Amino acid sequence: MNAPPTPSWNPPGPMGGLLLTEFIGKTLHLVLGNTLGSVLDGRREIQRHYELRLYDPGVVNRLDVIFEELISNIIRHGFSPGSNQSISVLVADRPGLIELTLEDDGTPFNPLAASEPEPLRDLETAPIGGLGISLVRKLAADVRYERPGAGNGGFAPANRIIVTIAT
Amino acid sequence: MEMQLSDVGTVRKIVLAGRLDTTGVDHVETKFGAAIVPGGKATVVDLTQVSFLASMGIRMLITTTRALSRKGAKLAIYGAMPGVMEVIETTALSDIIPVAGTESEAIAIVTG
Repeated sequence: MNAPPTPSWNPPGPMGGLLLTEFIGKTLHLVLGNTLGSVLDGRREIQRHYELRLYDPGVVNRLDVIFEELISNIIRHGFSPGSNQSISVLVADRPGLIELTLEDDGTPFNPLAASEPEPLRDLETAPIGGLGISLVRKLAADVRYERPGAGNGGFAPANRIIVTIAT
Repeated sequence: MEMQLSDVGTVRKIVLAGRLDTTGVDHVETKFGAAIVPGGKATVVDLTQVSFLASMGIRMLITTTRALSRKGAKLAIYGAMPGVMEVIETTALSDIIPVAGTESEAIAIVTG
């Protein structure tokens, strides 16, 4: 699969949650700022503009969980507090799939390179780190990480994650 | 994210309502732990009004249940809706925290 189109837009001014909503053809494009409020704002925009009512509630929940895990992970671990870093989100329909593409200009990091956390065997040894990415892997049909090339229009993404969710 | 606390006989009952996502857990985690761990009572957690569960919520449940276990008491959760149950099953949380269908089943587990 080819890399998704990198939309042209300029880095934001003052940080907010939702910085941009637009459609590129039939693909919903959001730009989210460096605040945990972006998770809620982004979710609301997807619900508002994407016809989630057409999908099984289980599919919508998996999209919701995956979105929450990936966006919050980028903001908490990939961004510098108070910075103007941001996340570009593309939501596209594919045959039998919803495709979610996230690009961010945070610290280059491949979350899929980390090993899976140990299985939950007993309370004392149960790991509490790495559960989010593990959950994404298990709920998604496929997850890929890429290092994007140079961006355009002022946005220079360092990370791209492409997730597909079976519908 | 809202939380209500009561006692059913000798068992502590916590009712959670809302989304157990990053924001919801930030809001409720301290209260949740404080309502359960210091008393050291057998505890049941009602999830019937929890509409969403992600890894931060799983982490909160594990850390609180672990702390309670060190005091010799059990915690069980019950009433999870399908989306929440899918996350519980996907993470195998039920391997370390008992998951019941109803309040009475959960109470039987933690007092058994």
